[in-house]
Amino acid sequence: MIRTLRISFSLKNAYRVNSILYAIRQIPLIKKLIPETVYQIRGFKIFANVLSVLWELVSAFLGKYIYFLLMLAGALALYKPSDGAKGELFLHLLVILTLIGAILNTYLLNPTKDKYYGVILLGMDAREYALVHYAYALAKLLLGFAAFGLLFGLGYGLPAWQCLLIPLFAAGSKLTVAAICLWDYERAGRVRNENQLDKWIWVLLMLLMAAAYGLPAAGIRLPLQVSLGVMGLWVVLGGPSLWRILRFCSFRAMYQELLKECLSTQMDKSAVVKLQREQSYKNISSEQGISSSRKGFAYLNELFIKRHKRILWQAALKLSAAALAVAAAVLIAFSFVPQLREKVNEVMMHSLPYFVFVMYLINRGTGFTRALFVNCDHSLLTYSFYKNPRFILKLFWIRLAEIVKVNLLPAAVVGAGLAALLYASGGTDQPINYVVLVVSVLCLSVFFSVHYLTLYYLLQPYNAGTELKSGTYQLITWATYVVCYLMMRIEMPTLFFGFLTIAFCVLYCAVASILVYRLAPKTFKIRN
Amino acid sequence: MRFTIEHLSKNYESKQVLRDIDFTFEAGKIYGLLGRNGAGKTTLFNCINGDLRFDSGDFYFSGAQAGQSQSGIPEEAGLPGEEPEGPKGHREEPEGPKRCRAKPEDIGYVLSTPTVPEFLTGREFLKFFLDIHEGDIQEPKAMDRYFEMMGIRPEDQNRLLKDYSHGMKNKMQMLINIIAQPNLLLLDEPLTSLDVVVAEEMKQLLRSLKRDRIIIVSTHIMDLALDLCDEIVLLNHGELEKVDKSNLDSQAFKEKIIEALREEKDD
Repeated sequence: MIRTLRISFSLKNAYRVNSILYAIRQIPLIKKLIPETVYQIRGFKIFANVLSVLWELVSAFLGKYIYFLLMLAGALALYKPSDGAKGELFLHLLVILTLIGAILNTYLLNPTKDKYYGVILLGMDAREYALVHYAYALAKLLLGFAAFGLLFGLGYGLPAWQCLLIPLFAAGSKLTVAAICLWDYERAGRVRNENQLDKWIWVLLMLLMAAAYGLPAAGIRLPLQVSLGVMGLWVVLGGPSLWRILRFCSFRAMYQELLKECLSTQMDKSAVVKLQREQSYKNISSEQGISSSRKGFAYLNELFIKRHKRILWQAALKLSAAALAVAAAVLIAFSFVPQLREKVNEVMMHSLPYFVFVMYLINRGTGFTRALFVNCDHSLLTYSFYKNPRFILKLFWIRLAEIVKVNLLPAAVVGAGLAALLYASGGTDQPINYVVLVVSVLCLSVFFSVHYLTLYYLLQPYNAGTELKSGTYQLITWATYVVCYLMMRIEMPTLFFGFLTIAFCVLYCAVASILVYRLAPKTFKIRN
Repeated sequence: MRFTIEHLSKNYESKQVLRDIDFTFEAGKIYGLLGRNGAGKTTLFNCINGDLRFDSGDFYFSGAQAGQSQSGIPEEAGLPGEEPEGPKGHREEPEGPKRCRAKPEDIGYVLSTPTVPEFLTGREFLKFFLDIHEGDIQEPKAMDRYFEMMGIRPEDQNRLLKDYSHGMKNKMQMLINIIAQPNLLLLDEPLTSLDVVVAEEMKQLLRSLKRDRIIIVSTHIMDLALDLCDEIVLLNHGELEKVDKSNLDSQAFKEKIIEALREEKDD
């Protein structure tokens, strides 16, 4: 056991260290400073080892802290319970979410790479391997839940013994679900891949989720005694479950089955490419009668759009419908809760920056450019004629018009919805606010469209295997997210921020156009 | 017409893949490019085709037909970024009146795995290509004639390319690459995954195309190289080296090639 523990952890550490070094070498500028022999340089190895250990600690504690903070404390704060009810509500959320977690992540049946490396490739004793890692994962869970269970539980006024029941409950529920899965495997030969859950399990999870967050909204929650009873029951069930898991002998055969897909997809690059290609074929409509009367690149583009209507337009249509539904729901809510008007009016007049993030979220730019590459440019960029600078620019403008069109639909709904909400919530003294709301939302939509298409043309991040290979591209998309996210914290009069937004978008589009014109003929090619 | 590579070098960090290559190819011949795995054959093709930035060197066409592809597609001028991919900062035009830098339309590049726009039908792909080259292709033929030339049956022409077999995709890729009649045709492992009938058809097609054009075929299959190619060129130690066949029978020639390639590994 100790030997298995040592070998498997040094293996896990080895590829984590190599992954860290590899990731560092993908960062623009920094990669130039780091030699390709980095994997054999002691100093770099030590540095990556430190990061690896830090990551292990982060995964044990920080992840759980964020979980407690967002899923439990954050949600709890929204319901604004009285001080006396806080502990009860906390346990209500915790009990149901922990059960969801037990189903979603058993540790034991997660088809991870380290299981593949250890059990399949290196032929380690599957039972020992599974149990050692499972014990380690449970220990991390116990520690994390004990620490934050106490921290938050005591904060909500729960006695210490109830807080200490939390980690035991979490471990008990994990053990029980895992034991049920193993029993099912022995009985019926079914391997439950927890990354591909059955649709009925998803329905169950949705119901549990609705019970966790929906019931408190309706003023219902599990009574404290019930929560404690449920927790105690799972703790008790954990005992026989642990015994069941320790007695299970077919880990090797089960993992072989579980990791079969891992074997053919995660590990074999050509199989992944093949799978992705087959997936992309499914997105091409074989509908008869699709045609175009245009010529040249307009012809190519029209056929592309028509044959990919489902992936290009479906999301935009759904988002538009959702935006419409939200706006309608708020308008209806005004009749029932009149005090809502004042709050919404305040939001409309001062929180336009918030909608930068909303527009970021609903923009289909990355999906659009990915579809462009995988289903079109990936093949055509291998032809010399397609790389003719004149043709590259021509197609860029055609595509820009298309992507703007796709994104404008939900943007128009959001813009009109905001203006309608402003009007219905009491309106404004300056009617120009309506115009600014609508125009700035539309401008934001155009901005994101231009942004993603420009990035695609200037950095073309994909290689022939349709893998995302550009560190710069990833960095910029990440920075875009961060900036948009931070925008939510800004409060500014709508009129002022709206004008700023419009000016910025116009300027950005102009600069982007110039950059594409100057650089795209050189940069728009398949990455090596 | 000749195609000359001058002082072409390409390094991947500290690994020197192409070392100061100097070589001249002549029109009317099919060249078989042989090299061991990882020798840099695809790198060489990617550099020539402008898909990969190289560290130093140049390549150009010279002779009577240099300067325009045989389709008559005019050279683009005055657009930003049009100069072929090359070493950073190296922008000098080669000297001499008949020397002309290789432009995208001068080169056809047929990949081993055929890549065609899967969302188009064979006919739509051809129409798109002919549309954008309208007026540029000398003696254009009717679309049916092109399909006939490649042996693509009428019932297949209106099927989506995603539903084409590997061999048919390969034919489609080849068709698009040869309509414009590029001066230089690069073929990376062209016949490896084709069935015997299609492979034979492709060989015949390549032989018929070689007049007034340079064809370079990269392959691992020695027999294919000997059967199809007029010259054998080895990519050895990052350099191109022609194998002289004079006074050797087929077997002796094969042994000479293998010996030369083995040397590389043993170094």
